[in-house]
Amino acid sequence: MMCIGVRNRLGSASVRHIVAVILLAVAISGCSAAGDKPQGEEGVPRMPDGRPDFSGVWAGPGFAHTGKPTDSATVRRYTESNMAPFKPGGQALLNRPYTGNVRLDDPTAVCLPNGLTRQIPSPYAQQWIQTSDQLVVLYEYMHFFRVIPFGPPNRAHAPVDEPTYMGDSIAWWEDDTLVIDTIGLNEWLLDAYHPEDGGSRWHSDQAHVVERIGYTDRSNASYDVTIDDPAIFQAPWVEKWQMQLKPNWKILEFVCDDNDRCRGGNCIESDAQKSSTQ
Amino acid sequence: MKTLDAACAACLVMLAVPTVVAHHSFASEYDRTKPVSVTGVVKKVEWRNPHIWFYVDVKDDRGKVTTWGFSGGPPAFLMRQGISRDVMKTGDVIKVEGFRARDGSNNGSGGKVTFADGRSVFTASAEDVRPGT
Repeated sequence: MMCIGVRNRLGSASVRHIVAVILLAVAISGCSAAGDKPQGEEGVPRMPDGRPDFSGVWAGPGFAHTGKPTDSATVRRYTESNMAPFKPGGQALLNRPYTGNVRLDDPTAVCLPNGLTRQIPSPYAQQWIQTSDQLVVLYEYMHFFRVIPFGPPNRAHAPVDEPTYMGDSIAWWEDDTLVIDTIGLNEWLLDAYHPEDGGSRWHSDQAHVVERIGYTDRSNASYDVTIDDPAIFQAPWVEKWQMQLKPNWKILEFVCDDNDRCRGGNCIESDAQKSSTQ
Repeated sequence: MKTLDAACAACLVMLAVPTVVAHHSFASEYDRTKPVSVTGVVKKVEWRNPHIWFYVDVKDDRGKVTTWGFSGGPPAFLMRQGISRDVMKTGDVIKVEGFRARDGSNNGSGGKVTFADGRSVFTASAEDVRPGT
C-alpha cells in the first residue's frame, strides 16, 4: 500500500527515475567489487598491466585444498624420489641423525625459524600482496615476511652480506608465470621430515631456490619449487605443489612462545596442574 | 531439528578430522614408545598458540586425582577444519589417547579424544602420530 501511495504521489516518470538510479547504484556497486580485481577471459585475477594478480590469502602447499572454506593442514615434505643424485658426501649433508640436541634436531621446537624451504609448504595460511613493482608475502607461521621486487628476468641479486633464514628473493615474469629466485640462505632445515629416530633433513648455504607459480584456474595455482644445492646434489630438482585461494580466510596471529609448555620435552607445570588435589 | 542437524554436522566434521601436525617435530617433545590413555573430567582448556592445551582430572582406584595436561593442534588448524574452541568444555568426560612427554611428567600429546557419547575428535599435535597407528 505504501508503495502504491508513493507511486501516486511521485508519478510514473519519477518512479522510473528512481528505479534507474537504483539500477545504476547496483551496477556501480557490482563494478566496484569486480573492479578490484580485473579478470581475464579465464577468470584469473589480473593487475591493471595485465599480469596475473596473486593477491589474496592462500592455503599454500601445506593444505589438502578442499575448495571449501574449511581445509586441513597437511604436512608436505620434499619427495625423495624427486631429488637428484647426491654428490659424494651429499647425503650426509642432507640427512642428519638424531642428536638429542633439539636446536639441531628441530630448531622450530625452540621457536627458531623454519627457513624458506620449510616455510613454502608450511601448513599455515599466507597472504600475498602484489603491486606493480613488488610482491609481499606474509606468512602466518612465526610472522615471517618476504618483500620481493619485480624486475628483468635472470638479473643478478644484490650482494648478500650474510646468509639468512629466508634469503634474498627477486622476481620476474615468464609470460603468466611468476618466477621467484632466492639465494643467500643459511644452512638450515630443508623441510619437516623427521624419521622415526628423530633425525632431520637440511640444505646447505649454497642452496638456490626458484619458485614458479601460475594460475591453473581462478582459485588454484601450480607451485613448482626447484632446489639447486650444488653442495649436496649433482643437479637441480623440482617439487611440484599447488596452492589455493581462500577468499574467506585471513591470516591469524601465531606466537610460538605464548604457551609452548613442553619445549624440548621439558614440560612446565600449568596453573591447572598446580592446583591439582593430588 | 535444525539444531540437531547442526550438531550432527559438527560431529561429522569432528569424526573426519585427521590428526594435525605440530609446529615442530613430535619426537622433540613426546616419546612414541610411551603411549598413554586416561579417562577423566576436563578441568581447563587453553585455546592458545602454538598449540591448544587441555587438562583432565583423572581419579585412580584410591580416589587420588591427578591432573594430566595434553597438547592438541594449533588453534588455526582446528579453526580451519571447522572445530571451534567450545568443542571441549570444562566438565566434559573424555578419554584421551596419546603419548607421554619426554620428561615423564603428567603431560602428553593428546592424539585422540573420545567423548562420553562416543564422538571422537582428534586434536593431536602429534606430527601425525596416534596410538595404534
